[in-house]
Amino acid sequence: MDWLDFFQSITDGLLFGSIYALIGIGFTLIFGVMHKINLAYGAASIAGAYVSIAVAAYVPLPALVTFLIAAIGSGAIAFLIYLANFRFIPLASPLATLMATVGMLILIDEIVVHATDGMPQPYPALFADIYIEWGDFGLRGDLIFIFVLSLIAMVVLMFMLYRTRLGIATRAVAQQPVAAQLAGISLDRTNALTFVITGLLGGLAGAMIGASVGVLSPLLVVPITVKGLIVCVIGGLGSIPGAIIAGLAVGAFENFFLAFRGVTERDMYVMLLLFVFLVFRPGGIFSRSVARD
Amino acid sequence: MDFFFGLLQIIGVHTLLGLSAYVVLQTGQVTLAQAGFFSIGAYVSAMLTVLAGWHIIPALLVSATLAGIVAGIVGFPALRIKGLMLVVATIAFGEFIRLFWFNFDYQIEKQGISVGPQGGEGFKQIRFFPENGWSTLDVAIFIWVIVALVMLALWWTDRSRAGAVLRAVGEDELAAQSVGINLTAVKVGAFAAGGFIAGIGGAIYAHYTTHIEHLNFGVMLATFAIAYPILGGLRNVFGTLVAVIFIQGILVEGLRFMGDWRNLLFGALIVLAMNIQPRGLIDERSVKLVRGLFTRDRRN
Amino acid sequence: MLDSKLVRLGAVAALAVAASFGVQSEVSSAEKTVQIAGFGAKSGVVRSFGINTEAVLNGAIEAINAGGGVKLGDGSMAMLELSFYDDRCNAEEGISVLRRIAGSDAVVAIGPTCSNVAEPLFGILQKTVDDEGDSGLQIPVFTDTAIKGGLAKISQWAFRNVPNENQMYKSLFQWISSEHPDLKTVYGGVEEDFAHSRFTWHKVMKERSPEAGYEVLGESKWLLNDTNFTTQVRQMKKAKADIVAISAHPFTTCGVLKEMKRQRVKPSLLVGLTSSSSMETLQGCSEQAEGIIIPTSFAPVTPAAKAAADAAAKFDGSADLHSAAAWEIVMILKEVMEAQGITADGDSVDADRRKIRDGLANLKETDGLLGKIQRTDEGEAVKPYLYVHAQAGEWAILHDPSQ
Repeated sequence: MDWLDFFQSITDGLLFGSIYALIGIGFTLIFGVMHKINLAYGAASIAGAYVSIAVAAYVPLPALVTFLIAAIGSGAIAFLIYLANFRFIPLASPLATLMATVGMLILIDEIVVHATDGMPQPYPALFADIYIEWGDFGLRGDLIFIFVLSLIAMVVLMFMLYRTRLGIATRAVAQQPVAAQLAGISLDRTNALTFVITGLLGGLAGAMIGASVGVLSPLLVVPITVKGLIVCVIGGLGSIPGAIIAGLAVGAFENFFLAFRGVTERDMYVMLLLFVFLVFRPGGIFSRSVARD
Repeated sequence: MDFFFGLLQIIGVHTLLGLSAYVVLQTGQVTLAQAGFFSIGAYVSAMLTVLAGWHIIPALLVSATLAGIVAGIVGFPALRIKGLMLVVATIAFGEFIRLFWFNFDYQIEKQGISVGPQGGEGFKQIRFFPENGWSTLDVAIFIWVIVALVMLALWWTDRSRAGAVLRAVGEDELAAQSVGINLTAVKVGAFAAGGFIAGIGGAIYAHYTTHIEHLNFGVMLATFAIAYPILGGLRNVFGTLVAVIFIQGILVEGLRFMGDWRNLLFGALIVLAMNIQPRGLIDERSVKLVRGLFTRDRRN
Repeated sequence: MLDSKLVRLGAVAALAVAASFGVQSEVSSAEKTVQIAGFGAKSGVVRSFGINTEAVLNGAIEAINAGGGVKLGDGSMAMLELSFYDDRCNAEEGISVLRRIAGSDAVVAIGPTCSNVAEPLFGILQKTVDDEGDSGLQIPVFTDTAIKGGLAKISQWAFRNVPNENQMYKSLFQWISSEHPDLKTVYGGVEEDFAHSRFTWHKVMKERSPEAGYEVLGESKWLLNDTNFTTQVRQMKKAKADIVAISAHPFTTCGVLKEMKRQRVKPSLLVGLTSSSSMETLQGCSEQAEGIIIPTSFAPVTPAAKAAADAAAKFDGSADLHSAAAWEIVMILKEVMEAQGITADGDSVDADRRKIRDGLANLKETDGLLGKIQRTDEGEAVKPYLYVHAQAGEWAILHDPSQ
């Protein structure tokens, strides 16, 4: 294994990591606002991508529009998830919410399986034919596009959170729900909107995954759910910059171990590293003051 | 009838899996490592009966103890983390154990054929029960004696001071610590006990399915481990049992007549159950309701 | 108010349980029937396999019943009746389903889809017939789909009608070497965490190709639900092999083929896994899969095979290399039932099962859709096969080794 391979595998990993980052941000946003985990989030993201190919089956669409429809579809599903799993379950029963989202994950997965008979579906990609090469070093055009698109989505999200009324309301609810309510912010509406926003983001991520693999399959759901949780935790709960860095890092580490230890041991090392990291730095990369609880 | 005894076996093993998470959940920790400890019980006991030719009972005890020790070792570092961090850390550890079996290859020659765990191809021919002539009923009774013992032990713990201590830690760690409860001992103890129970479940699982492979012990199994006690309610051990019957008996086997709809209903009914009964199927309200059915005149 | 909801929920649940457990199949009194059971995955990502098997079974049974049914030992005729169960491709559920079938009047079980269900399932069957000390189940299981090598020898009650990959790939590599004498080297790609694909590379392709004179240059491994194959394909590219053999299911096969195209890895020939010669691959990546060669035991080339394919289509499924085996199984079972003279009168279920098992065990040769099928002492089949390749979004016949 020489330096070129090392550099190449890290670069590939970083590019692919931008998708993990998008999923991680979704988890982190919901946790930041509601202090709860939405385990159905990954399933909703992939389901959004399925919605977009269902639409594209009737009307021929350019790839970019397909991605947008995926985002909208996933946003709508996220709203349904909010209604079914969060709206009516009391705040004091976090475990019930957790379990309900597991049920939702299974339900969404099975709906997708029924609609497609579990067969992999081709997904359109942009710049898939472009492969930039310098000697033996190469970069995938579609992954660069995904990387850039993810960065744009994140910038838009940050702008929205810090510069718009909705964003300020969201952050207010995250920090002090009672005070926010006193200031005239509707908790239900803010929570629902947060879900829709994370859903939009997730749908985009789902579309990006479909585009980068070239195929959609229900097999994608559990792995991206696990990866998303990992990213959200490494980055520090509720921290968007943390999720971005963690997403890229997870992608890079994964590819590093793949290239140097082979695929059967890859995840073993990633998991061990994660466990050790969490034990020594329980707050994530950007750990805030320890006693938040 | 064989089918019902077989179903009883499955319910028994899943009850053990659920109870292993129940113990840990009592201390307020959500763990997704139970599938990993379950797999330790499965692989180790199978190696003992198939490769070393042991009887099932010592094999079960040894493998469960080993699973308990590993769980206790995880319990120590896990003390530092809680909430979602712990969920992810335990996923990581559980997956690590599963992937260890994925890479684990160890066979010996026995009567001309090589037996033993074989990495990604799994571990086959774990046939202690049929080879020794145990009928489906025998196995079901064997399993339920163990389940009853474990439930009895947990029931007794629940009612004793130890149960109060566990719940105190689960409700409010700080308060529990300030009345002199040793947090480390309680949490590590709960992890170890949970690992031990999961180990027993795994050991039985390996022997009634006769073939195990790493894919059986993934995140979904770990999720079901915590699903049973949460769905059933953390009030007492019977909640877990009720939830296992709800999932394995009704959702999986009972809804068969619904054909294709069965799988769609599976997730939907879990969502519905949590909306109607957020504190679990067996909570104060449902207990009162059932009690009311039998003591109606006294309430009047 | 919520209490009443709870009561209602309980009532629904109780009804559901009663409906599914309590009522046994009610058979019309006038006509005799022979119950057979099918099972396979009808949920999850492999759902299409179960759907196809069920459709083929229904088609085959309809064909037999239209011809008067099965002749019983006493000379009367009986209709075949199928019940089909979903095992979710899950070992525990498969075992549960088989116990349910064993408790019913079914004289034989046809299935399952997944090798990871078949392997534990065969383990709970009695290993050796007449072994009183072995308490395993005693019902013949005849497998159409689960293909991982060497499973039927686990029990004398287990039979399979699945292609023999060892033989198919052996002759495929020999044929390729005679057709393309300029090709010398092979590189493997394997889905490492799935029992079947793993077995097929390490124990079949990797061992059979050197016998045909090829040098194996190396292998790349990935996992069932991997999404990023850049590193593996780069290893593949470095090896510069003439032939790339991919032992993986459609989802990752497509992912890898797409990545190969991106990195411009263009081997002279592509060889694929038997299970990938399905519509799934073509639906996922027909453009990239163009030219991939796969040996298969089914193609609608004979009149019998066409009839089977049409019958399956009538029941909303398709006959492919896996499900077509179910058609052959039903036809073989009819012969065996008639030859053994089963009685099918309700009390004789155990005896009938034993007769069918013995009949199956004694078979040396059966009729198949593509020609004669040899049966081995271990309960496996040696089926005729064809080489197909992907061409313009369809599987086209490349060569028929029997001619």
